[in-house]
Amino acid sequence: MKAFELQNPVTLAEAARLLPTKEGDESARLLAGGQDLLTELKHHLVEPDRIVNLKHVPGLDAIEWGADGGLTIGALVTLQDLAEDERVRRELPILAEAAESVGSPQIRAMGTVGGNLNQRPRCWYYRNEHAVCLKKGGTECFAYEGRNKYNAILGGGPSYIVHPSDLAPALVALGAQLMLASPDGQRQVAAEDFFTLPSEGNVLRETVLAPNEILARIVVPPPASGMKSTYLKFQERSSYDFALSAVAVCIWMDGKKVKEVRMVLGAVAPKPWRVKRAEALLAGRELDADALKAVGEEALRGAEPLAENGYKVPLTKGLIVRALQKLS
Amino acid sequence: MRARSEPAWKPKKDLTVLNRDIPRVDGPEKVTGAAKYTHDIRLPRMVYARFWIHPYPRLNLTKVDVAPALKVKGVVYVKALKEAGEDVRYQGADAAIAVVAAETPEAAEDGLRAMIIEAEELYPPMVTAEQALDESSPKIGRGGKNVNVREERGDEEAANIALDTVDVLIEESYSLPVQHHVCLETHGSVVDYRGGDEATVYTSIQNVSGTNASAARALELDADKVNVITHHMGGGFGSKFGIGIEGSTACRIAKELGRPVHLMLTRGDEFLMGGNRSGSQQTIVGGASKDGRLVALVAKADRFGGTGGGAFAGLPYIYKVENSFFESRSIYTATDSSRAMRAPGHPQASFGMESMVDELAFAVGIDPLTFRKQNLEDPVYHRQLDRVAKEIGWDAHPNKTEPGAVDGTRQVGIGFAISQWGSRSRPGSQCEVRIEPDGRITSTTGTQDLGTGSRTYVAAIVAEEFGLEVGDVTARIGESAFPTSAGSGGSVTTGCSAPAIKDAAHNAREAFEARIAPMLDAEPGQLVWRGGEVISAQDPQKSLTWKQACAALGSEPLSAMGEWQEHLRSQGVHGAQAAKVEVDTVTGELKVLKMVFIQDCGLVLNRLAARSQVNGGQIQALSYGLLEARVHDPDLGLMLTDNLDDYKIAGVQEIPEMISIMDDDDDRLAVMGMAEANCIPGHGAIANALFNACGLRLRDLPLTADKIIMGLSDRS
Repeated sequence: MKAFELQNPVTLAEAARLLPTKEGDESARLLAGGQDLLTELKHHLVEPDRIVNLKHVPGLDAIEWGADGGLTIGALVTLQDLAEDERVRRELPILAEAAESVGSPQIRAMGTVGGNLNQRPRCWYYRNEHAVCLKKGGTECFAYEGRNKYNAILGGGPSYIVHPSDLAPALVALGAQLMLASPDGQRQVAAEDFFTLPSEGNVLRETVLAPNEILARIVVPPPASGMKSTYLKFQERSSYDFALSAVAVCIWMDGKKVKEVRMVLGAVAPKPWRVKRAEALLAGRELDADALKAVGEEALRGAEPLAENGYKVPLTKGLIVRALQKLS
Repeated sequence: MRARSEPAWKPKKDLTVLNRDIPRVDGPEKVTGAAKYTHDIRLPRMVYARFWIHPYPRLNLTKVDVAPALKVKGVVYVKALKEAGEDVRYQGADAAIAVVAAETPEAAEDGLRAMIIEAEELYPPMVTAEQALDESSPKIGRGGKNVNVREERGDEEAANIALDTVDVLIEESYSLPVQHHVCLETHGSVVDYRGGDEATVYTSIQNVSGTNASAARALELDADKVNVITHHMGGGFGSKFGIGIEGSTACRIAKELGRPVHLMLTRGDEFLMGGNRSGSQQTIVGGASKDGRLVALVAKADRFGGTGGGAFAGLPYIYKVENSFFESRSIYTATDSSRAMRAPGHPQASFGMESMVDELAFAVGIDPLTFRKQNLEDPVYHRQLDRVAKEIGWDAHPNKTEPGAVDGTRQVGIGFAISQWGSRSRPGSQCEVRIEPDGRITSTTGTQDLGTGSRTYVAAIVAEEFGLEVGDVTARIGESAFPTSAGSGGSVTTGCSAPAIKDAAHNAREAFEARIAPMLDAEPGQLVWRGGEVISAQDPQKSLTWKQACAALGSEPLSAMGEWQEHLRSQGVHGAQAAKVEVDTVTGELKVLKMVFIQDCGLVLNRLAARSQVNGGQIQALSYGLLEARVHDPDLGLMLTDNLDDYKIAGVQEIPEMISIMDDDDDRLAVMGMAEANCIPGHGAIANALFNACGLRLRDLPLTADKIIMGLSDRS
């Protein structure tokens, strides 16, 4: 990797001031757990002059519960700590399951919640230095007509990456808010609005995070009582892998009938893919075979598979069935 | 002088060390990190070397400027291996454009990136079979052709006539991708040359005794002045028989600099130029009678071995077919050459054959176990198939002649397959056993331990001979200066080296007995070596401890040489595999629940190590079956899976319950290698189990979720 200067700010504001202000200025990168950044550096996908290390900023590694039952997760909380937190496991299993599904024990021990949400795509072409694809400033998404088994079936174009984060669909389903710090202060963005499609925002990025903003904390509002939740991830390799498809579900039942459901798909689109019409379809219905079939159809409506990823349609439908069966 | 008696393996019941579970003698060294692999060697003033490998397969070089690398701090050496105007013909060693050596690996990497190398990329990249077979494509293969017929066997016309008479006929294509060896230790050498006329070459190699000559040539030294060392090795699987361009380049740099050179391939370079198992596409027409006889088979197999010819074991594979024809072709692409890989050609042929056999069995309505036995003449396969069927629970399994349904549940299936391996050995290996007056005993031979556990029997055979414990013997292996031993390929290591070790131990014992028999008022040959003592056979009251006996040697050690003895080894391994899987017919998740493999291999020297080899073989087959595949972009020519993130191998969660059985009904009292038959049938058995579970027949490896899910969608 290219040599860089390591900077160790001790406050969020100081860290934010060390980051570039202009879009497209790649001179500095933020370091948390380093699990994604290090591979990007080694493969020369990024070559910053400076690495701004967030690890010396105090207070970002805490899991805190509010009096109202809301949860605040610092960006430096490790995936392992989140996955092993007893109260998270009890009250927000969707979050523990998502954290636990990430990578391997070694990666979860180092990887952070903030890093997981801000990690870059896993597309073969993006990760290969020699393929100068759309995501790296080139003019073409090679996956579109190339090898695209792992790419998007929903929301694709002009880039067909899928967002690799496991926490992201879970946090969107939970209605989480993200606290972004910048030299000018803080702003709050819903997790659902944090991630962008290539057609909506800057194709070189996957989020609304400005160059000098730092994801500092995630706030999960207290769930309405009776919520059941799960994150179901399908991996080609169980030992450690990114998702081929994933389903994050929060559901409230009224007897046998669904009162409300929030459902977000992972690894099928360039951002966590909330399926509001499928959610609406379930409201007031029993989770019988017809409903399970209908919700799958609705959730995948509009899917446009590429040559090698058509399997994601039936796979995701199957995961939706399994996730709802698990919660009902 | 008494006539020398013939060495012979003791009957199994009399063995006290061999044919038992013997922990590896180097286990503690390995798990504590004390064992030094080639990668680990650090020498004074050593430099680190790296190649500049072009990722595109076919090029005309327009600029090769390596000089800028010398401006990078720490870089001490650069050299262009190709010049502007030269072509690169394939992705692999031929695409090594330049090399750099530096004080640190990081400086070497920076040096590579400072070089200016430009080239015109020739289109198409010729990385797929389709490109090779396209008539308009350039001819890049051997003999100016992209296709070569390699083998024809049988009478095609007669086989086709026979196919017309069968009750059930199936014509299908089966394919397997290119598989990588994925040695945990990449290829490479550390060359210790600091001037003068001698050198030591540490290298990760399967052929220690045969490597000092090639290393010496690259160093321009005499072969007797170069010692090649492989004390510990992180796998080879057939890919490490020569030092390669990486070894010869390290030698040349060391010679020029007069400094030690460390040149181990990066993982990415390893994928590009470290060899592979050739892929295969097979079209098989098979026919059976309704009573379950294999009547005819016409098979055509293509081998995808890159610039190499690839390997294919031939069809029919093991099974008896009354009329058959087989043709195989090599399809050349501009990718790295295939190399030998654990049972070359067999896993490919096994998958096609076992799939076809299974399809015919279900088509005629005979259960796949019975159908197999009906078409196997060798009774060894019958007993082995029965054994694995018992262990896997076939009797109680419901899906005998009909697969399970795609019904929204998780379905369980069982599949079978068989294998064979020659395990031939040859003369030439030698061993020295040396007994010191202080009681230490060493067993020295130039063989290598690829990670298999061979070092342990180098000691254990000698311990058995003298009634000692394994720890009483020091095994010295892995140096070309040691007595010659065979290269480890084709499962010959044990068959070649163990007889020589046994012979040396036998000779040492006879020589020792001649010295000490008078002390026990006994004749040589009338002594019993047991429990750390030597005892007179006639008068058990007369004995010496091992230490007392050794002390009688006075001031000089006793040394004896041994060499390969044909009667101490045998050949011919059979194997049978069963696999049990679970398929979620909603999501398509395939989980292998259990694998059982049995094989015969004569006298098992170390049961623990042998089972470990069987486990490893099964895992390698499982990994090939479930996950492994090299992927190229056909347009960009880039290898998209040149790392262990994207080239997926099985991890701990993929490993099922594993039962590895030594076939103790094999009464051959002779040794042979045993590490190949077990990696041949696993993926075929898993594919058959998938079908058995839910009726989905996948004919294209690996059996990844995308294919299973699409297949299940078609069926439901």
